[in-house]
Amino acid sequence: MNTMPSGQYITGTSMLHRLDARGKLICMFVLLTAVILTSTLWGYIFIIAVTAALMLFSALPAAALFTPLRRLWLFFTVIFLMNALFFDGNAPLCSWWIFHITAAGLSQGAQVVLRVLLVVLLSNILTCTTRPMELTGALESLLKPLKLFRIPVEDIAMILSVAIQFIPTLSEEADMIKKAQTARGARFESRRLTDKAASVAPLVVPIFLSAFRRADELSMAMEARGYRNAGSRTKKDRHALHLPDYLALTASMMICAASVFIF
Amino acid sequence: MNQMSYVKRSILTAVCIALCVVLPMAFHAIPNAGSIYCPMHIPVLLCGLIAGWPFGLLCGLAGPLLSSLLTGMPATAYLPIMMMELALYGLLTGLFMQLIHTRKIYVDLYISLVISLLAGRVLAGIARALIFAPGSYSISAWATGYFITCLPGLVIQLALVPTIVFALEKARLIPVRYPVEEG
Repeated sequence: MNTMPSGQYITGTSMLHRLDARGKLICMFVLLTAVILTSTLWGYIFIIAVTAALMLFSALPAAALFTPLRRLWLFFTVIFLMNALFFDGNAPLCSWWIFHITAAGLSQGAQVVLRVLLVVLLSNILTCTTRPMELTGALESLLKPLKLFRIPVEDIAMILSVAIQFIPTLSEEADMIKKAQTARGARFESRRLTDKAASVAPLVVPIFLSAFRRADELSMAMEARGYRNAGSRTKKDRHALHLPDYLALTASMMICAASVFIF
Repeated sequence: MNQMSYVKRSILTAVCIALCVVLPMAFHAIPNAGSIYCPMHIPVLLCGLIAGWPFGLLCGLAGPLLSSLLTGMPATAYLPIMMMELALYGLLTGLFMQLIHTRKIYVDLYISLVISLLAGRVLAGIARALIFAPGSYSISAWATGYFITCLPGLVIQLALVPTIVFALEKARLIPVRYPVEEG
C-alpha cells in the first residue's frame, strides 16, 4: 500500500518514451497478437529477443519491469503444475495415482507460463514509458470509431483519466484508514475468519464515504466551472504521428508476421 | 437516485473504478482475500446501484482492466472472465434498481442485489462453459468457484452494499431515493 503499484510511469527520454502513445498502444496489441499466435520454440525465442530489445530501448530499471513477475510466481507455479500433471497425453514420462507427467503436458505448461510472462512484461513496458493521461488520450482516439454506435467515447476517456488520477489519493487514504482502524483494535492480521470478516466493514465503509465525498466535491467544482459533458469539448493539443511512430508500427507488424509465418 | 447530474454520475463511476484498484490492495494483507472477499465486486455493485446501468457496465469492464494493468491483479489469464462477470453485475444491478420501486429502499436494494448476483453468476458460468473453457467446465466447479469459495464475500457484499448506500444517503452524498414528504 505504501508504494505505488508497478507499471507506474517512470520519467525518461528513451526512444520508447518519445514515441506517440497511440502508436505504442497499437504496437502493443500487435505484439500481444504475436505472443498469442506463436506456437513454436523458435517463435518464442524470437519474441523473447524482441521483448529484451524493447527493454533495452526503454532504458527502464530492471526492478520496475520484473516486480510484477515476482508477485505472480504462485500463479505461474500453479498453471505450470496443472498443465504438467493433468494433461491428457500418450506415453507418460512418469505416473503416480491421478498424476501423469507427459512431455506434451510439460510443454503446454511452459507455453502458458511464457505467454503470460511476455504479456505482463510488454504491458509493463507500455505503462512505464507512457504517461497515464497520454494513454487515456490514445485510447480515446483509438475508440473513436465506436462513436458510430453512439458510444460516448470522450466521456469514457474522461472517466478513465479521472479514475487514474484518483488511485494514488484513494490509496493513501485507504492506508490511513487501515492504520486508524488497526489502532482502534481491528484485527486484519488475525487467522480467524470471523475476526477478518468483522474487520472488513470498519475498513470499507469509511473508504467509500471518503471517496464519494471527494467525487461530490470534484463534480460540483466541474459543474460550477461550466463542465457539462466531454462530447462538446475541444482539445488544446492535437499531435500527428511522426516518422518514428510509423517505423515502430511497421516493425511491430513485421515482427508479428515473422513470428507467425516464418518461425 | 435518478436526480444526479451526468457529470456527478461520471465522477462517481471514476471513483468506483479507482476503488476497484485500491480496495484489493487494501485487502492484500489478508491471505487469499481476492477469491474469498471479492473486494472488487463492491465498487462495481455500488456503481450500478447508484449511477445506473451504463455506468455500472463501464465500471465492471474498466475496473478489473485497470487493476490488472497497474497491479497485476487479476492475472491476465482471468481478466476476460472477471471483466465479463463484473460487467454483468454492474449492468444488472443498475437495470433492476431502475425497474424495481417498492417505496422501501432496503427492499429495492436487496431485490436488485440478490437477483443480479444470482443472474450474473449464472450468465458468467454459462459464458465460461461455452466460451472461455468449453468442454472442461463442470457444474461442481461453477458452484465451488461462485458460491462456496466466495461465500464470505457474498455475505459481506449483501451486508455492506446496502449499508454503504444508506450511509451515503445519510451523508447527503447521493440523492435520497424516497424523500420523506413534509407536512
